[in-house]
Amino acid sequence: MEIAAGETVALRGGNGAGKTTLLRCLAAITHPTRGEVWWFGQPAYGDPALRRHVGMVAHESRLYPHLTLRENLLFAGRMYGIDHPAQRADQLLADVGLAEHAERLPTHVSRGMAQRVAVARALVHEPPILLLDEPFAGLDAEGQAWLTHTLVTMREAGCAICFTTHDEAQVDQLADRTWELRCGRLYELATVLPYDRPRRRELAHAA
Amino acid sequence: MAAFWWIVHKDLVSEFRSRRVWPAMLLLGIVVALVFSLQVELLAEQKQQIVGGLLWLSVFFAGAMVFDRSFAAERDEGCWDGLKLLPVSPGAVFLAKWTVNVLALAALESLLIPLFFVLSDLPLAAHAWQLALIAALASPGLAAVGTLVSGLATGGGKGGNGLVLVVLPLVIPVLLAAAECTRLAVAQQIDEAWWRWLQLLGVFAIVFITAGTLLFEYAIED
Repeated sequence: MEIAAGETVALRGGNGAGKTTLLRCLAAITHPTRGEVWWFGQPAYGDPALRRHVGMVAHESRLYPHLTLRENLLFAGRMYGIDHPAQRADQLLADVGLAEHAERLPTHVSRGMAQRVAVARALVHEPPILLLDEPFAGLDAEGQAWLTHTLVTMREAGCAICFTTHDEAQVDQLADRTWELRCGRLYELATVLPYDRPRRRELAHAA
Repeated sequence: MAAFWWIVHKDLVSEFRSRRVWPAMLLLGIVVALVFSLQVELLAEQKQQIVGGLLWLSVFFAGAMVFDRSFAAERDEGCWDGLKLLPVSPGAVFLAKWTVNVLALAALESLLIPLFFVLSDLPLAAHAWQLALIAALASPGLAAVGTLVSGLATGGGKGGNGLVLVVLPLVIPVLLAAAECTRLAVAQQIDEAWWRWLQLLGVFAIVFITAGTLLFEYAIED
């Protein structure tokens, strides 16, 4: 299984199929029982410095509840060692439309606002690999439009993106390829002609 | 190196704002000290014999709250996975958490040691530098074990249930050495035996900190 630079892959599957687990393996948070994950030709579980290649948006916001929205982004920026983390945090908050809420705690903002900041946090270091687990969940129309625009922009900049979704419209709009997890097997879907039934090509399966 | 300091800063800021752990830890330490001291009526000589053991037991039980909570904030909202995504070595994460725990124990001991001596009617000033030295060597060892076990519990997806039961057997050498050092200091027996117990505390601290730094990566592996 490969995702090339500038390519977007949509990962689909039913509840409990293993989409989140697969993303966690790709992010090197979870060790797979079999197989390996490589980023740009290097093993993902080696040097921690390689994690600068990856940004991830998960189900949870991963925001520290006692740091403000700005401080959460600032902490992430400092940990990734980016230049001028304060300016980057302010810029991202403005991009997601939350500049005026910068000094609020994550517990004092809505789920959708926290999700926007979570996305911003994943982008703080401009990673070349972006993994997103149902990133549109909880976002309003404006937020979804912003995220779609951001993902398109990142794809055009050469970012390799993999996101999970149950929404066909998002797949059609964003994905170059589609993977599907079904019964422990990973398939790549290909629709040969309009209105044909999708054909599945098995990529891998887990024991 | 910078990542280490930013994690320490983040944890201290979070604790200062939430005040979830340190106040409860200090209160528990005070309650334990009061219960031990007021319920046990002993002669002055007998108090000298047991004050060390009671003090360090109090530090341990109150400090266990801190060890458990040192990763509690990371368990909230998936922050633990967020921390594992960052380009920082597990050893640096361990040392940062350990540093915060050492600071917490230092705050606890700065309150409990004078309290125990006042309640035991023992002269604190006469033993101040010895007690400071004992605390400076015992706290790192206690904090190292507590941090490692707490990280292991967090990596296993479990909370702090039973943390004390796991940590206590591992820190018995530290508690024994600290208690014996304290007893000898109170009895004004700063002799070769005292220095040997003190060296033992130092060795435990080095061993546990090194082991924690090297093993933390495997403790948190998912």
